[in-house]
Amino acid sequence: MCLADLEFDYINPYDSSSRINRVIMPEFLVQGVLCFFYLVTGHWAMALLSVPYLYYNVDLYMRRQHLVDVTEIYNMLKWEKKQRLFKLAYLILLLFLTIFWMIMAALDEHDHE
Amino acid sequence: MGTENPGRPAYPGRPATTPFGAPPPPNVRPFSSTPPIPGSGPSTFRPTTAPPSQANTPFASSGPMAETEAPGFQPRPPSTFSNPSAAPPPALPSYGSPAPGARNFQRFSTPQFTQAPQGPPARPPTMGQAPFGTPPAALVPGAPPAFRPTANVPAVPMGLPPQRATYAPPGGSVPQLPSESVPSVPRPNFQQSYPAADPSVPTGRPTVPPLFPGYPNQRPHAPPPATLSQSPFAARPAGDVPAPVVASPFQTHQGGYVQPHTVPAPFGMPPRDPMQHSASGPPSNAMYGLMEDFNSLSIGSVPGSLDPGVDSKALPRPLDGDVEPTSFREMFPLNCHSRYLRLTTSAIPNSQSLISRWHLPLGAVVCPLAEVPEGEEVSIVNFASSGIIRCRRCRTYINPYVTFTDAGRKWRCNICSLLNDVPGDYYAPLDAMGKRVDFDQRPELAKGSVEFVAPTEYMVRPPMPPLYFFLIDVSVSAVRSGMIEVVAQTIRSCLDDLPGFPRTQIGFITYDSTIHFYNMKSSLTQPQMMVVSDLDDIFVPLPDDLLVNLSESKTVVETFLDSLPSMFQDNVNVESAFGPALKAALMVMSQLGGKLLIFQNTLPSLGVGRLKLRGDDVRVYGTDKEPALRTPEDPFYKQMAADLTKYQIGANVYAFSDRYTDIASIGTLAKYTGGQIYYYPAFQSASHKEKLRHELARDLTRETAWEAVMRIRCGKGIRFTSYHGNFMLRSTDLLALPSVDCDKAYAMQLSLEETLLTTQTVYFQVALLYTASCGERRIRVHTAAAPVVTDLGEMYRQADTGAVISLFTRLAIEKTLSHKLEDARTAVQQRIVKALREYRNLHSVQHRLGGRMIYPESLKYLPLYGLALCKSTALRGSYADASLDERSAAGFTMMALPVKKLLKLLYPNLLRIDEYLLKPSASAQDAESTMKARLPLTMDSLDSRGLYLFDDGFRFILWFGRMLSPEISQNLLGHDFAADLSRVAFSERDSEMSRKLCALLQKIRESDPSYYHLCHLVRQGEQPREAILIMSLVDDQIGGTSGYVDWIMQIHRQVQQNA
Repeated sequence: MCLADLEFDYINPYDSSSRINRVIMPEFLVQGVLCFFYLVTGHWAMALLSVPYLYYNVDLYMRRQHLVDVTEIYNMLKWEKKQRLFKLAYLILLLFLTIFWMIMAALDEHDHE
Repeated sequence: MGTENPGRPAYPGRPATTPFGAPPPPNVRPFSSTPPIPGSGPSTFRPTTAPPSQANTPFASSGPMAETEAPGFQPRPPSTFSNPSAAPPPALPSYGSPAPGARNFQRFSTPQFTQAPQGPPARPPTMGQAPFGTPPAALVPGAPPAFRPTANVPAVPMGLPPQRATYAPPGGSVPQLPSESVPSVPRPNFQQSYPAADPSVPTGRPTVPPLFPGYPNQRPHAPPPATLSQSPFAARPAGDVPAPVVASPFQTHQGGYVQPHTVPAPFGMPPRDPMQHSASGPPSNAMYGLMEDFNSLSIGSVPGSLDPGVDSKALPRPLDGDVEPTSFREMFPLNCHSRYLRLTTSAIPNSQSLISRWHLPLGAVVCPLAEVPEGEEVSIVNFASSGIIRCRRCRTYINPYVTFTDAGRKWRCNICSLLNDVPGDYYAPLDAMGKRVDFDQRPELAKGSVEFVAPTEYMVRPPMPPLYFFLIDVSVSAVRSGMIEVVAQTIRSCLDDLPGFPRTQIGFITYDSTIHFYNMKSSLTQPQMMVVSDLDDIFVPLPDDLLVNLSESKTVVETFLDSLPSMFQDNVNVESAFGPALKAALMVMSQLGGKLLIFQNTLPSLGVGRLKLRGDDVRVYGTDKEPALRTPEDPFYKQMAADLTKYQIGANVYAFSDRYTDIASIGTLAKYTGGQIYYYPAFQSASHKEKLRHELARDLTRETAWEAVMRIRCGKGIRFTSYHGNFMLRSTDLLALPSVDCDKAYAMQLSLEETLLTTQTVYFQVALLYTASCGERRIRVHTAAAPVVTDLGEMYRQADTGAVISLFTRLAIEKTLSHKLEDARTAVQQRIVKALREYRNLHSVQHRLGGRMIYPESLKYLPLYGLALCKSTALRGSYADASLDERSAAGFTMMALPVKKLLKLLYPNLLRIDEYLLKPSASAQDAESTMKARLPLTMDSLDSRGLYLFDDGFRFILWFGRMLSPEISQNLLGHDFAADLSRVAFSERDSEMSRKLCALLQKIRESDPSYYHLCHLVRQGEQPREAILIMSLVDDQIGGTSGYVDWIMQIHRQVQQNA
């Protein structure tokens, strides 16, 4: 994700885009699986939260804009960085919520005992 | 700034008189000391310091007397100044005006003045010396008293020397001048005006640094003008008409000079300077200036009425073609020629807020290898021993604007102002004026464009040989259209003319549903063909012998080309494995790079990169999905383009099909590899043969730069942020151009990095590092300077319509890739409206504009070109008005066109030629004048008794009026002159008239060789064929698009809406 900044000057667009592109599909898959997992385990609130993200990814994929384009990478740089920052913020939010729920759950169990 | 500072410091001192009154040396002193002050403009300024010494000398000579008088004058100067300021109080806010004026003045006068100081050193005797000499003479008798005071003030440092000497005695005049030391008032104005003016000074003559010192002073009131100025000034307060008492030699100066003051508005109109110059009396000048403040168009329409109230004939039309910005060049004679670099405005704004008010794109159009007329070739410099001299920090190449200091041991970079050491080999002492003694022998110091021979540090690998690789579609449609035959013949005829003779390499692949490789080893007598049919896993048989050295294998290559058409004569294969063939070509070429010429006849249908028939679904048009049709369908093409660039392969695409070939996808290959697209819809060798032959031959034989990269550097505080054209960005500011030639131009936009620019001048340097066909690695460097201004009016005045439109075009075309055509057109219109509105606001305060539409002189054609752009093939109408392929091809082409050709394409030439043809003895002159008499592009220009020639740089259209005398048509078309013209081929007939016409066409073709003008014949009223011409008549209202008058009305209305 941080590659966007990296290639400011130090690596050429070919390397950077191939490196970025390599992790994009796994990222989408992991996200999808996570969402599915939430749904299955009954944390529907969390699942609901991660649905927009999933939708966005799927949409990008359907429009075939999910991969970084070598030729236009410099024109897209700003947008790509923004997009990735948003995603990151979103993920962090999810993470916190997950931890929160986990602690809540742990406390609950504690109380029960 | 140089000027301003010197003036300032001196000034404060002045009141006290001490500095001045002091003996000459002191006098000089203040001056010399001042230069350092200007800190901000160090580089340019430096020179000044040096000169003082020299300046002194003249002084000293005249010295004794002058000094004594000096005290007297001092007060004077202020007073003179104050007057002007007083007169145009309203102008104060926009005080920039004087500055421009001053600048003009300088520009012109400089040469002369400069000399004056130099007189002693006797440097370039070139310029104005003569004029100068005279003025003093004239002055002496007439205006001595007046003269003294004024001249003195400003001119103190240098201009004076000559005059002083002569006039010193009359100095008595001093008393005359009421020494109202009102300096305080004038001063401020003064300063303000300066910043703008300054830039020109330093840059104007970097080479001749010494001059500056004198220079600056003159600016306020050059000595000569002073004479006149006196009277005008005196009068000024009362009314602005300057007294016309003027010695003739001076008038010229005055013209430039006075103007600023008399004309309150900032619009001194640099472009017009030359005229002002020649203008005779000051009064007339003043008037002139006033009138030329801006151009206006009275639009007295009653809203809603049918009659727009605009005389369509009065609207400005660029019938003289492109006008290159000249003022820029006069200001900075050392700049590279405008054919290489054109700025959208040659006055760079100094703040963000100015940029945001400018509304037009701020940037440059660069054509690094532009064709030069005979005798103006770029000189080649070889620093064999010392290596290329560049700035340590910003890597700027040495150029005419660097300044040498420290007796020639150091040089200051004009872009980052770092002091660099001069290498031992390159050292040359400075002369008295701070100029290197070997200045004249070093083109890199005397010219804006040079070419350096690059040593091995500039190579990542040995320079590649010129390499041409042909990828030829041999499927059935290619055979039927006759394309293969023409291509084979053309290539064969060009074999001897390919650049880089002994090293040139060549190779071929043909493909239909399989891929055919050819082994053309020199030991063979016959080329060997190898067929690969496995499209999923391409491999290259015989990796070594597919690319051969042309000089060694020439006979084999020739045999191959001779047999190529017959080889596939009976081919009935309709498939096209374009993608795999492209991959194979990449594999073959990846070692060396080079130029890949692709001849594609059908939609790629097999293997990777196969494309679908898009765009026949009418429902898509007008929806959000429409723009997608203009972008590559398959990412394969973008990926391939990126890979091609990586391996230094430039692709040129020739497309021939009469059906959809998806140029949008295939063209991507050319777009990102610095290539271009040639599109021949419905190619038939009978009609298109000549065009293809000419264009292919030109593509093969024109001088080409291989494995090139280009970077444009600019001064601190500004940065190029976006680039537009056919290339690939390799890093944020490095354009990768696998092959470049003279027909490619690139545009880029600027932005300010800092909120306020403090420098007075910014420099641009375009550097193109490439391998020449001869195998030498070279760097072509173009340097230009532009002043920084604080005044919006000045920016508009210095605008360059050609460059602005070029950028507009590229932005609009890029916009069509992601937006609807309509949006792109509106965007163009909106920007024009905003710019004109801003301009109007600038003036509406001082002038009652009423219903007039006003626009700067420099941008008078902007609305028309904007309209033409909206009607161009790439942007016009909706889906029905141009096929997808045509639109894409036009878009790709326009992205690469140099300014001049683009303007011609947008607003083509329309000539009436029947009179010329009928004239019994037509001389070359007649042909000239016929070619110059361009007509407005409207139906009204077409007389049904005439024969017209329409020329947009890509095609000719011959329009036969209905009432045209049959004699002409018969002579030109032979017996079938009455037949349907769509079936008549134009060719030379056996008649005088026909020969004359062909000679004329030939002449036009030669003047613009980059494309072949295909000739179309159209008869008046012959539908639907006539549409090709009617669609191009930009001024007319055609099918839902607005005509010129409507367009102006629309713009005008919108400008006024929120004005």
